[in-house]
Amino acid sequence: MLGCTLLLLAAVPAGAHRLDEYLQATTIALEKGKVEADLRLVPGVAVFPMVFAQIDGDADGSVSPAEERAYAHRVLDDLSLRIDDTPLPLRLVSSAFSPKVLLEDGRGEIRIELEAEVPGPATRHRLVFENRHQPRVGSYLANVLVPANPDIRISAPERNYDQSSFRLAYTDASAASGSAAWGWPDLALAMLTLGLVVSAWRVTVRTRRSHQALRARPVGDQP
Amino acid sequence: MKTFRPNVLRNLPAIAALFLFLAAHAVAAQSPTAQIVGATNKFLSTLDDAQRKRVQFAFDDQQQRARWSNLPISSVPRAGLSMGELNSAQRSAALAAVATVLSRKGFEKVQHIMEADELLRKDAPKPIFGKDLYFISILGTPSEKTPWMLQFGGHHLALNITISGERGMLTPSLVGAQPALYKVNDTTIRPLGEESDRALALLNALDEAQRKQAILTYRVADLVLGPGQDGKTIQPEGLEASAMNEQQRTMLLDLIAEWATIVHDSSPGPRMAEIKSGLNETWFAWSGATTADAGRNITAYYRIQGPNLVIEYAPQPLGGDPSMHVHTMYRDPTNDYGRKATAK
Repeated sequence: MLGCTLLLLAAVPAGAHRLDEYLQATTIALEKGKVEADLRLVPGVAVFPMVFAQIDGDADGSVSPAEERAYAHRVLDDLSLRIDDTPLPLRLVSSAFSPKVLLEDGRGEIRIELEAEVPGPATRHRLVFENRHQPRVGSYLANVLVPANPDIRISAPERNYDQSSFRLAYTDASAASGSAAWGWPDLALAMLTLGLVVSAWRVTVRTRRSHQALRARPVGDQP
Repeated sequence: MKTFRPNVLRNLPAIAALFLFLAAHAVAAQSPTAQIVGATNKFLSTLDDAQRKRVQFAFDDQQQRARWSNLPISSVPRAGLSMGELNSAQRSAALAAVATVLSRKGFEKVQHIMEADELLRKDAPKPIFGKDLYFISILGTPSEKTPWMLQFGGHHLALNITISGERGMLTPSLVGAQPALYKVNDTTIRPLGEESDRALALLNALDEAQRKQAILTYRVADLVLGPGQDGKTIQPEGLEASAMNEQQRTMLLDLIAEWATIVHDSSPGPRMAEIKSGLNETWFAWSGATTADAGRNITAYYRIQGPNLVIEYAPQPLGGDPSMHVHTMYRDPTNDYGRKATAK
């Protein structure tokens, strides 16, 4: 149908793949007491040598499982997650690398899964996620999934222009009523309450005893 | 004395016309699904046993369902049969099956995307592009009643069409183009031109307060829910359609229809009704330049997201002109791969 003379209106790039950027797409999932982050990293052709030099620690031209893990940890070190202004340690869950032949052609990707525990019973949280990996060539995406748990509600996320910094507020209505372990403020409050109840009880008992003693005293003893 | 034979010869054109009319009428009388099933079975009948084995998969083959991408087949190998390994009759039958499952406009769009890839092939140092490298596969058994799926795709194209009764469900599908603008003789072809122009027209129809809501303050460099992101729903952002006036809402629906009408003509009606029912909770978000050169595509990213809809339009800034290289994604998070049709 279209097989006639074809004339391009503009020059066509030879490839259909990423060139001079390092795409780093993060998807955050919020669960009860937990934050999960899924990173998809796609180095462009022009930046691959620099990225590969970081991955290939012994510079032998190939990537071992240990080098993959080391690079995943290196990426992890360039990320930060804070909940309510408290830094949370991210734990590496898994990583997967496309073959080098695809990565160097801008057509492969690196997947890294991370997670962090959110301590405490608070129902309101402020989350800040920052990615500082390869900022000179980084092209960032950061998004949050609609929570599967209906108790978790998210406010509109905010980002800086290049999406290397991502923040949102969320509430977890199940946190207060859930079976999560009590935090120290809750224990302190409980101890204080218990102490007050015990003190009140002692005062009441002493008062009753003194009243009973007064009533039981013989009449002749009174002045 | 007159013989019968000359009469027949004399009336041959009329008889032939009558035959063609009856045949055409018979085809027209068939339901779209019957035509799709017929065309698909006809394609299958042109194959030998080994080819049939390669092109057919179980309907619930999750690996095959997810085996699609915007990338060339050298990066993400596809399964099924490529157009390049079919003979002329088989290839015609395969494309006829694809044409039947799509609307006329949808099939034309597919041809334009393949033609663009053919242009890439001519400039590419490696044989990773071109019309020969588009694959067809059938998941399940073609049927007018029970669900089955036809997949067709390659570089910049991934159509996953679940047929269930009279419905054809096109989600998830990826539709892209590079070059997104070229000429055939004197005719300019823009495979995704309407998707660009209608979106820009909608943005321009918004007032200042609406634009402030719709235009994101950050850059979006690529698809968020592209290949490999099945089953995910991100937090919607931008301007909600409940804050649009009727004219703007109509423009939004017309824009959405660019994807919803790719599939064969009896399906967009129910699909658009679904989308309309969730229109108040549908969001329109834009990131990037708010103008475009006349006759060229936008360089901005946009997303339309509703209860049963995700559309993304993502120009690719990959060392060239982003208006010339576009990826788009079309999803229904509640019904990707026809999940509703098979829900028990």
